[in-house]
Amino acid sequence: MGLITEKTPLPKIQPVKFLLNWGRRYSLWVMNFGLACCAIELIATSTSKHDFIRLGVIPFAHGPRQADLLVVAGTLTDKMAPALKRVYDQIPDPKYVISFGSCSNCGGPYWDSYSVTKGVDQVVPVDVYVPGCPPRPEALLHGIVKLQEKIKDEDIQEKWASGHSAVS
Amino acid sequence: MGTALSPEDAESRLRARFGQDILAFEEQHGHAVATVSTDRYRDVCRFLREEPEFACDYCDFTGGVDFGPERGFEVVTHLFSTTHHHNVRVKVKLPHEDPACPTVSDLFPTSDWHERETMEMFGIRFEGHPQPVKLLLSEPFEGQPLRKDFPLMTREVKPWPGLVEGEDVEDEE
Repeated sequence: MGLITEKTPLPKIQPVKFLLNWGRRYSLWVMNFGLACCAIELIATSTSKHDFIRLGVIPFAHGPRQADLLVVAGTLTDKMAPALKRVYDQIPDPKYVISFGSCSNCGGPYWDSYSVTKGVDQVVPVDVYVPGCPPRPEALLHGIVKLQEKIKDEDIQEKWASGHSAVS
Repeated sequence: MGTALSPEDAESRLRARFGQDILAFEEQHGHAVATVSTDRYRDVCRFLREEPEFACDYCDFTGGVDFGPERGFEVVTHLFSTTHHHNVRVKVKLPHEDPACPTVSDLFPTSDWHERETMEMFGIRFEGHPQPVKLLLSEPFEGQPLRKDFPLMTREVKPWPGLVEGEDVEDEE
């Protein structure tokens, strides 16, 4: 799928919208942002046993500029947070974020730590949260299906109009 | 390969060389543990490195311990001999107010980063350290997070839920 900007002419015709979203949701290039043990589960999801390519999630984009989906897997520290924000900003729109695992959802076992960011949603907007410590690959597959359901009903012009971009 | 010194032998040799400056000596898990005075800390470390019977040529770690306002801090340096395969720990007691310890990073290059970590985590100054800046924490971070009196903001709002009934909270002791 090419780059979609505010200027892309997208007529409000139902079959066009359907076709566009159908194409987008089955070609999610994923950016691997593995930070801790959850990254192992994320990588396991990409390999032959679970194989998220059959859901159209392509592992792994060579850089953020080629990605559509960012999976934050693991413990985000305050020192790492600027790097996550930078990677997110480099991904071209439309982009989606899955927060994978308790640490990236809310801090998890490091809920009272002095150095851990309690929830990546403080840094980037999150579309789907996958709970677990670490979650099984099946949980990530479920999260991807949930994200695809979300993309299916999306109106790209509404998404642009509502000021979807990153939390400042 | 040489022969490992037993903790008893290590004690007698260190006491013979440093006398009153060995403040305490104990054996922990088969390792010799010597508490030494701050002034002779560097001398003890240099002696342990250069004396052929000790030949402690590798510094495993340098760390800090916070015992609260009354007992102050302790700096622990763990030395290991790659020829004799024995371990010696050297401890230095420091006051809680403005703790300062001599550096051993010129004797053992491995202790350089460990001392920087101890410095940022406990606020212990290492005098003579070549690069006394933060190692792990981000530059704007304020406070010494491994000190016991460092407030964990999340716990100020919500106490730790894992407390077993009947267990004493530290502040109530």
